[in-house]
Amino acid sequence: MLAGFLTLIGCQLLGEFIQRALDLPLPGPVIGMLLLFVGLCIHGNVPKDLETGSQRLIELLPLLLMAPAAGVFFLGAGFANQWPAFIAAVTLGTLSTLVFCGLLIRFLHNRNKRT
Amino acid sequence: MSELMHGPLFAITLTLLAYQGAMFLYTRSARAAMLHPTISGATLIALALMLLQQDYYTYYQNINWLTFLLGPATVALAVPLYRQLHLLRNMAGPLLITVTVGAIFASASALIIAWLFGANHDTLLSLTTKSITTPIAITVTQDLGGITTIAVASVILTGVVGITTISWLFNKLDIQDDRLWGFCLGLAAHAIGTSRAFERSAVAGAFSSLALCLTGAFTAIFVPFAARWFL
Repeated sequence: MLAGFLTLIGCQLLGEFIQRALDLPLPGPVIGMLLLFVGLCIHGNVPKDLETGSQRLIELLPLLLMAPAAGVFFLGAGFANQWPAFIAAVTLGTLSTLVFCGLLIRFLHNRNKRT
Repeated sequence: MSELMHGPLFAITLTLLAYQGAMFLYTRSARAAMLHPTISGATLIALALMLLQQDYYTYYQNINWLTFLLGPATVALAVPLYRQLHLLRNMAGPLLITVTVGAIFASASALIIAWLFGANHDTLLSLTTKSITTPIAITVTQDLGGITTIAVASVILTGVVGITTISWLFNKLDIQDDRLWGFCLGLAAHAIGTSRAFERSAVAGAFSSLALCLTGAFTAIFVPFAARWFL
C-alpha cells in the first residue's frame, strides 16, 4: 500500500514540476493524474499496491473534504449578498445541465444505433 | 490548556470524531442524499467550533496536512478511469461528444445564471468547477484564485440537486436506459451522483464513474484556459 502511495505522490511531484517548467494553467495533481493514466495504459494493468493505495485514498475522500466544506458556515458578512445568485446558479444550472445532457446523449445514441 | 485547544491534535481529533458521527448518521439514514458524510461532517465540525468558540481559520491551518492529501487523491482517480476504459469502446462517439459539450454547458449555465443574479467576480470564479468532483474542483479553484469553500459548497449542492431531481426529470424525458441515465448523472453530479447511480444498477454506476472521471479531466483542462481568456 505504501509503494502505491509513493507512486501517487511521485506522479503529483512530476506533475508539479511539469506545471512550473512549462508554466501550464493546469494544476499539478491533474497533470499527475494524466501521467498516471498514460502510464497505466502503457503498462497494461494496475499493480496490486497501487490498486489498494488509491482505493483507500478515494474511500477517505469525504474525510478530506469535511474541513474545507465546514468553511461554508464561516464565510462571513461579505458573502451574504451572494447567496441568492449562488443558490440560483447551482440549482437552475444543474437542472438545465441534466435535461440538456439527457436529450443530447439520447439523440446521439439513437443516431449511432441506426448507422 | 488553551494551547492544546488551538493545536493540531485537537483539530484532528475533532475531524475524526465528526467523520465517525457523519458515517453513523449516513448509514443509519439508509444513505439519504442530504446526510452525505461531507455535508453532515462539515456541519458537525462547524457546530463544535462555534460551541467551543474556536476560530475556523486556526482550525483550518491545523488540519492543512490532511487537506494536502487531496493532491494524491486526485492522482488516484486515474485508476478507476483506466478501469472504466473498456466501456468506451462501443459508445465512444456519443459519450465523448456529450462529455465535451455537457461539461462546457454545466460551467457556462451556472456562470450565466449567477451573472444575471449579480454575482461578483470571486463567486463566478468559484462556480466554474461546480460539476466536477471535489478534489479536482479544489485544486483548479485554488489555481484560479477563487474561494475554495464556495467551490466546495457549489459542488456539494450540485450533487444534492442532481440526485434528488434526476428520477423525476428522466421519467418526464422518458430516458430509462441505465447507461444513458448513469452517464448523465455522473457528468452533472460527479461523485454524489455516482454513488446514487450504483444504487440503481452496476451498469449505471460504471457509466456514472466513467462520466465523473472524463468530466473532471476535461473541465480541469478546459476551465483554466477559458478563465485566462474571459475572466
